[in-house]
Amino acid sequence: MDLSFNIGGAAGQGIDTIGDLLTQVFVKAGFYTFTIKDYESRIRGGYNFTQVRVSDRPVFAPADEIDVIVALTLEGAVNPRKQLVKGGVIILDESVEIEDREPCHFSAPLEKTAKEIGGSDKMTNAAALGALLSVLNFPFSLLEESLRGIFQKKGDKVVTSNVAVAKALYDLTSEKFKGTCKTSLSSIEKGPCKDRLIMTGNTAIALGAMAANVKWASAYPMSPSTGMFQDIITNAQRLTIGALQPEDEIAAMCMAVGASYAGARSIVATSGGGFCLKVESLGLAAMTETPIVIYEAQRPGPSTGLPTRTEQGDLLFVAFASQGEFPRIMIAPKDPVEAFETAGRAFNLAEYFQVPVIIMGDQFMAESSMNIPRLDVTKIQVDRGKLEPPETQGLCLRYRLTDDGISPRSFPGDKGKIVVANGNLHFENGHITEDAGVRKAMVEKFLKKVPGIRAAMRPPTLYGKKNAKTTLLTWGSSWGAVYEAMSTLAGRHVSVNQLHYCDVYPPKTELLRDIIEKGARVISVEGNATSQFASLVRMESGLTVETHVNKYDGRPLTRGWVLSKLKEVGVA
Amino acid sequence: MIPIEELEGVQKITWCTGCGNFGIIAALKKALSELNIEHENVVVISGIGCSGKVPHYINLNAMHSLHGRAIPIATGVHAVNKDLRVIVHVGDGDTLGEGLGHFMHAARRNVRIAVFLHNNGVNGLTKGQFSPSAPRGYVSKTSPPPPGAPMNPVNPVGLAVAGGATFVARAFSGDQKMLVDIMKEAIMHEGFAFVDILQPCVTWNKDLTWAFYNKRVYSLQKENHDTSDKMKAIEKSLEFGDRIPIGVFYRETSPDLSSGLSLPKDGRLRDHMTDKRELQALIDDMVL
Repeated sequence: MDLSFNIGGAAGQGIDTIGDLLTQVFVKAGFYTFTIKDYESRIRGGYNFTQVRVSDRPVFAPADEIDVIVALTLEGAVNPRKQLVKGGVIILDESVEIEDREPCHFSAPLEKTAKEIGGSDKMTNAAALGALLSVLNFPFSLLEESLRGIFQKKGDKVVTSNVAVAKALYDLTSEKFKGTCKTSLSSIEKGPCKDRLIMTGNTAIALGAMAANVKWASAYPMSPSTGMFQDIITNAQRLTIGALQPEDEIAAMCMAVGASYAGARSIVATSGGGFCLKVESLGLAAMTETPIVIYEAQRPGPSTGLPTRTEQGDLLFVAFASQGEFPRIMIAPKDPVEAFETAGRAFNLAEYFQVPVIIMGDQFMAESSMNIPRLDVTKIQVDRGKLEPPETQGLCLRYRLTDDGISPRSFPGDKGKIVVANGNLHFENGHITEDAGVRKAMVEKFLKKVPGIRAAMRPPTLYGKKNAKTTLLTWGSSWGAVYEAMSTLAGRHVSVNQLHYCDVYPPKTELLRDIIEKGARVISVEGNATSQFASLVRMESGLTVETHVNKYDGRPLTRGWVLSKLKEVGVA
Repeated sequence: MIPIEELEGVQKITWCTGCGNFGIIAALKKALSELNIEHENVVVISGIGCSGKVPHYINLNAMHSLHGRAIPIATGVHAVNKDLRVIVHVGDGDTLGEGLGHFMHAARRNVRIAVFLHNNGVNGLTKGQFSPSAPRGYVSKTSPPPPGAPMNPVNPVGLAVAGGATFVARAFSGDQKMLVDIMKEAIMHEGFAFVDILQPCVTWNKDLTWAFYNKRVYSLQKENHDTSDKMKAIEKSLEFGDRIPIGVFYRETSPDLSSGLSLPKDGRLRDHMTDKRELQALIDDMVL
């Protein structure tokens, strides 16, 4: 079983909540889900959709084809039409007038019934659910059981009215829908999946940061990173976290640098445009060796670009941003499970090496959701790195020269200590100098951190069989679609595997070197136009990836798209 | 009380002979030596420019940071450790230029930091270009005659009052006693304190000189200015000609930023440990 549903309509019509409820019902019934939200940069109108993919096996990417469409507007019916499978169904709210009526169309009084039976148009989601699952012959008992579980916390009244609305549409559809649906789930039982936590990348990063004892978060609203900051600030009071939306991106970053200098774990959230503005203080964090975690949820640029869409186009920008030369770390989690763990690890790396750590997300990773096992906060451990002992008194050697380039930290307010940080070239005690010898020593201090950082980076993960003839090279959120494509090809006995990077900078390249030296053909698959990761790898290792597959239309990769592109380069 | 000798700067001062900054650093040392604060609980955040070098000429916790950005950095420092008294030393070049937005927002936020603006009308360290506080017509390398600087100066005192700062004053580097008193009040003020410090740049500014100010400054307090009257304070901020008012323009008591943040009831945010069971409960609530 691998089904997909597309709920489409205008912004403000509650597309999200229908999609969310549908996802919840299937999760509750024991299935794997993958949900994407596709929306325009506007508050009302336009065409938005939520795509829910459901399977009895884990799924990691959006689908290419749709089995059932629910449309609240004409665009909702027309726009995804070409993706509809043969034998698929389009359920329209009866208010939608469509000229070219097809047998697959079914008009249903979704909003009307929601109001009449449920007492509110908010119940349209239960109505849509009833119609959709009726078309599929999904047992009503299973739907009812799921709805009861989902709404029980909200009280009997909510449960009863949701069930009643769903039932009304379920029965009405059974009676009136005369078309055919290729899929029947009439004999379906509870699915195998026990994972009941529906999670986005944004929320997972927020939870990971909170588990890592983040104490300061500042961010200026910028899609698609805003959800991460909202998740922190929503829980700020409950967990005692300083969080503030300041006047701009620059202030957000400066506040976090100040908070970290004063001893608190600090994070900022932004997208590429905001990161541009933060670059000045990124340099300050680097020069003052103030640990900082930056979450950069990429969207297509340059400039405002496509504000609500996805791309992996900022990799090289982030790797090289700021004047001067200094070490930094970049990590690109592939999914919510990895995002949680990555956020926790980012703080330890930032504080251990006293460098900026950038978590590279993107709109797809940030806002798509899947059901995952319960996240365990005890898995995130806090390591604050080298700290100056209390016995040290007076002016600290905040930038003491050491073998590994890392100096013990202390904070203003530490008893009997004075701590001077400086964005200018400085002596070991933080005070300003222009001395050539000190300059050389301080640059070398930065360089000395690099071997330690390289050692701390995780190697890439090889998926599929070893020694395949073709290796697909991926990073970050491109993992899922490419993994599904690779698995499909492997099932057809094509000799292909996948080498995937989470820790993208500095990258560990030994395994890749081994693969290339053994004669495998390596193909990079990236969500950008210029194969930035392949370039970065070449710069770091001299290894050349000859073949590239690139997606740069602002939409996420899918298995079908990857397969078609691989076919073009002779892998099929 | 910090013994004044403990505040002795780590480095030799590099400001020009006769610079107005000497009076500022002397007053800062005196003010801190007279206040009841622990040495480790004072932090100076400075910007970039001649004023940015303050941290090296006084022995305090410090960050010598970025042009225009000292105020938001200081805000972060304050939020995570309210035991600290955070003092910001900046110039007119940085805070009235790139940093003007941060300045205004800090004022409306009423964040508990004290901002000391070294105001000399020029970008001194870059060798004498006109700054945002230079008068219209001011002649410098980047504002050649005619017409000199083709714009009016920023009015920092007026902006601070209008913006919501809860302690606003102007002092003159040449009037030590008043400067020390104002600094002490600003440092201990429970909100955003702003002090515009008139400070001649003897090398570059041939207009705003010691003689210029000595002839014009007068004390608002000696003229019984009502510091609780916001409109009066703004009116006084517009007076900058033959007579230049110095002293406290405006003060009020109102909730500061930290009262609106989720800080611990006792102790410093920097030491707070998130209750992991609480976070786990939050996650478990999300499980269907």
